[in-house]
Amino acid sequence: MSESKPTSRPVWSGAISFGLISIPIRLYTAIREKRLHFRTLHDQDKMPLKQKMICPAHPTKEVSAEHMVKGYEIEKDRFVVVKPAELDAVAPKGGKAIEIQDFVELAQIDPLFFDKPYHVVPKAEGAKPFKLLLAVMQQTQRVAIAKVVLWGRENLAALRPLDDGMVLETMHFSDEVVPAQSVPGHEVNAKLDSREMKMALSLVDSLTADFDPSRYHDDYREKVLELIHKKAEGQEIVTRATTEEDAPKSGHDLVAALEASLAQAKGAAKSNGRANGRPAVHSARSARVAPHHRRRSA
Amino acid sequence: MSAAPASAVTIEGREVRFTNLDKVLYPAAGFTKGEVIDYYRKIAPVLLPHLKGHALTLKRYPNGVDQPFFYEKRCPVHRPDWVKTASVWSDTNNENIDFCVAADAATLAWMANLASLEIHPLLSRADKPDRPTAMVFDFDPGPPAGALDCVQAALKMHEILDHLGLQSFAKTSGGKGIHLWIPLNTPVTFAQTKQFSHGVALLMERQSPAEITSNMSKSARGGKVFIDWSQNDSHKTTAAVYSLRARETPSVSTPISWDEMRLAAKKKDPARLVFTPAQALARVKKLGDLFEPVLKLKQKLPKFDAGHIHVG
Repeated sequence: MSESKPTSRPVWSGAISFGLISIPIRLYTAIREKRLHFRTLHDQDKMPLKQKMICPAHPTKEVSAEHMVKGYEIEKDRFVVVKPAELDAVAPKGGKAIEIQDFVELAQIDPLFFDKPYHVVPKAEGAKPFKLLLAVMQQTQRVAIAKVVLWGRENLAALRPLDDGMVLETMHFSDEVVPAQSVPGHEVNAKLDSREMKMALSLVDSLTADFDPSRYHDDYREKVLELIHKKAEGQEIVTRATTEEDAPKSGHDLVAALEASLAQAKGAAKSNGRANGRPAVHSARSARVAPHHRRRSA
Repeated sequence: MSAAPASAVTIEGREVRFTNLDKVLYPAAGFTKGEVIDYYRKIAPVLLPHLKGHALTLKRYPNGVDQPFFYEKRCPVHRPDWVKTASVWSDTNNENIDFCVAADAATLAWMANLASLEIHPLLSRADKPDRPTAMVFDFDPGPPAGALDCVQAALKMHEILDHLGLQSFAKTSGGKGIHLWIPLNTPVTFAQTKQFSHGVALLMERQSPAEITSNMSKSARGGKVFIDWSQNDSHKTTAAVYSLRARETPSVSTPISWDEMRLAAKKKDPARLVFTPAQALARVKKLGDLFEPVLKLKQKLPKFDAGHIHVG
């Protein structure tokens, strides 16, 4: 009876530019992270804690937004202050296009480079060229490397077929990758003998399987959730204290007050059976409303 | 499209053109568009006061209840010039759009001719779009829970609201559900009705966690009555009292007294909660408009401050 509910929504809309062809597409989130989030509460009144911006030079006063500026720390304690307008001036002017640069073999891209995947879906008018691009990638076993501006940031990205659809993977630029050689202790000096190697190989053989991601679960998250649900079922739910100034925002804030009010009303009805108890109130109301009901005939 | 000739009828001085009157809109019952129009013309005297000034969304079933339907917010441009409209902000369209307003029986008949089986008004009047005239709850059973479970839950809420000094009125959904209306007709905001209705639904869920849920997700609803409080929102519509519903057979969202609800619960007879258009019309003739107080009764939501409810 209410309006239809929104389903999964596109997070971005633009076009793949591929030679002279432009393919209008939409991006949808391909990964929904299921991280647990906890609020930090004050132990005494269960009020969620707030962070305040404080200047250590004037610790008693909160700094308001109009007195905050962005500073780039050029060396310890020395800053270059940059204004938002200055950043805007050099921001990438994304023409809402995913511009294909090259086609490469997927195996040549180390998984290290991949950042975030999105499902790519053509708009109605892009169906045919989309299908064409997908088909050539499938047939040539190549993936497209593209540049795209997403939400004000320039990204490297790979477009690749997945099942019968297409995925855009945002990628890290090469200068973001930390070379393994730069990590201390990277070089390991140890000699392997052939007997140990053989044993290890047979162990790997015995553990070899097809990759089935559904076999692995976030056990810790599941255990924490179970703990939370158990505590919630046992009514181990704490409600934060209310402050004078904050008007209640959600129905949750009301429940305890409603409960208390009803308990009070019931108690009063039991002890004196007067008009504030339910039965008395009810019949008095029925009498008041009844004439309305019967007056009209259509 | 069949080539049946259009016929014009004059209703209260307005000429309404009807098409395809023999078209069956409820195939299981053989109920035709002509019968839909006839129902809305006859129910008009009690229905119109409830629609007065409210922007309407039409729920149209051009090829009958078992074929695709669509919601129409924008009042069709090919409307007769006497059909009133109201310009109301639409969040989904991100602009003001002209909704139909049913000011007279001719408009109801014209809407029925568009196969607009269901009438869904906004809860506020167009001149005060931020002020709901009532607070509503929709009791919707998740199978195997059924109509009688809804009645039990609605009776319980009636009692709670009574404690809080609020009168409430029930109507059938036309299916297995119950709609509860709390007339306000006083200055109040959707933020207030939404918060209050959510609180009441949560309270009921906490009191009867095995039978009641306030959670919209389908998985939480199995075997429980879902109390939908979320319709208390400036851009959501809810089925009007006396609206036909697009079920398999024609039924009417019909006001029902609390005594009748208790009797249905006692007799365990869900059939007492379903009314055909003919039955709904007969009830109005006999009982008048059981929803009339919804139009006039002025009520204020209890005040809430610093964790306490102030009733009355």
